[in-house]
Amino acid sequence: MTLFDLARRNAWRKPMRTVLLLVCIAIAFLIYGLTSSFLAGSQGASAANEDILGVMSAGGRGQALPMALGERLKGDPDVADIAPLVRMRGFVGTERNVVAVSAADPVRMMAVNGKGLGLGTPQIEALGAARDTLLVGRALAEAQGFKVGQSVTVSAFDMLKKEGGRDWRFTIAGIFDGENASTDTYFAIARLDYVNAARARGSDTVDAFVVRPKAGADVGRLAARIDALFRNSASPTRTQSEKQFLEAFLRQYADVGLIVNLVVGAAFVTLMMIVVNTMVFAVRERRFEIGVLKTLGFPQRTILTLILFETLFLLALGGAIGLVLAKLGTLAAGPALGLVLTPAILARALGLIIGLGLAAGALPALGAWRMPIVSAFRTR
Amino acid sequence: MSQPDTIDTLLPASPVPESLPEPLPDAPYIALENLRKAYRIGQQAIPIFAGLDLAIAEGDFVAIMGPSGSGKSTLLNLLAGIDRPDGGVLRIGNSRLDQMGEGARAAWRAHHMGIVFQFYNLLPMLSAAENVELPLLLKPLSRRERRARVERVLDLVGLAGRENHRPGMMSGGQQQRVGIARAIVSDPPLLLCDEPTGDLDRASADAVLDMLRFLNSEMKKTIVMVTHDPQAALYARRTLILDKGRFIEEARAA
Repeated sequence: MTLFDLARRNAWRKPMRTVLLLVCIAIAFLIYGLTSSFLAGSQGASAANEDILGVMSAGGRGQALPMALGERLKGDPDVADIAPLVRMRGFVGTERNVVAVSAADPVRMMAVNGKGLGLGTPQIEALGAARDTLLVGRALAEAQGFKVGQSVTVSAFDMLKKEGGRDWRFTIAGIFDGENASTDTYFAIARLDYVNAARARGSDTVDAFVVRPKAGADVGRLAARIDALFRNSASPTRTQSEKQFLEAFLRQYADVGLIVNLVVGAAFVTLMMIVVNTMVFAVRERRFEIGVLKTLGFPQRTILTLILFETLFLLALGGAIGLVLAKLGTLAAGPALGLVLTPAILARALGLIIGLGLAAGALPALGAWRMPIVSAFRTR
Repeated sequence: MSQPDTIDTLLPASPVPESLPEPLPDAPYIALENLRKAYRIGQQAIPIFAGLDLAIAEGDFVAIMGPSGSGKSTLLNLLAGIDRPDGGVLRIGNSRLDQMGEGARAAWRAHHMGIVFQFYNLLPMLSAAENVELPLLLKPLSRRERRARVERVLDLVGLAGRENHRPGMMSGGQQQRVGIARAIVSDPPLLLCDEPTGDLDRASADAVLDMLRFLNSEMKKTIVMVTHDPQAALYARRTLILDKGRFIEEARAA
């Protein structure tokens, strides 16, 4: 037997109470796991690159930029490469089945963000094989059941074709996986030359330029310099990192991060109250036995450690159950929601378990630490 | 002497000792000089001891009797180092308990004293062996060494084969024997017993007292036993009667 065994046995002395407490802890960590996975995964914000810049119109997402701006961007000594981008939003089949297509030059897209998107030579060659080809992200392909070689018709919301109509027919040439599980792959990549030539309006304009700075360049200064370059032109720009852009995009709808933090915070504050309350009662019930342990020579610090061990054990067990459930939830939710339980989330969960364990165990542990033996024996 | 296989093989059948070992040396192992202790209830101080003196030799077996409220339990608490005197000297062996802080007294208890409670005070979720092992968790012993000691001591108190039984599965007498095993497992020189037979029937009580007498005579433990039971006091070498915080009578075994 060890001191940890003793703490573990104490934790299971009232099995029903312990099970109920574990359920509470598991639910709190399930909420944390799912909401954090949503933040990390669904919009790809956590995996978004802070070193890649997006140059858009200062007038907002609806305003296009002339494609010719690309040449001036390339002229900056800190710019390694650029890729012009046109975004098409539409649906496949029914209007609720929304998909996003980014039209780009395959070679330049590869140069600018090929690593991040998990693009390789086979995919770029496949995209270059015909004008109406499409590379589909893994999450989108799995959600829609898309296969390589399949024809897909995207009904664009606001991009009409020169020949009339808004149905854009593509052939799926390949699938890209993204650099890691957190990368947003719920979109497709089409060829810019095809889309640009076939669209009825906005020819030779783009929604954004993706800019890869040279190694060692000060990204923040470069962004400011780009915006300064076009500030007094007909097309003023707003330059942000990919991460800033995605976070700003999310904030258009709501401050999801704040909402998630509030929900998780409320869950953990409630949890802490429950754990503190339960542990205070558990220690109060055991006053006599704590007196016995002290009489046997257990020093005060060992008694304190025993109670903290017990609280940490319960939080670790309940937290692990909650996180396993969250992982199962992310798998069950499917790629459309894009929930990703990242190592960073698990590391934060470990920190929460330790922090909450120490905080929740402190009050009962200090009570047991201070309790005089003679007073403890009076409780029987 | 060689270590007995079980305590039952060594103990006499008679519940009352027929003879006692050699006389004890005079040097006191436990010395109380002008010991003072009072409890406070609000502003009022209720004196328990107002200058108590006591000397107990090493290897002695002393029974302390007296009416309720006479100070028996307070005296035992002071001797166990779980309470502090207000004044005077409390020395056990070379240790001045009256001058020690809480941490030092806890360390002293772990190494120098075992205690047997009236209601056994075993931890209900632990087996007999685990209860006995508790004091050894404070010692720098390996798991194997702890287990060997626990087995030896449980064997000594006649509970070999009951290692995995929890307190709820044992009789009062058996639980008290586990309590005694726990008290002696770290081999302390001093054993304090707080009404060790108070919750037992006569037969179980005699078995426990036989064991205490064995620990005193064969293992040279100094024993201080608080009891209400005159039969139990017959097992001791000396019986002290405490009343209103003073020793009023002393009887020595023949």
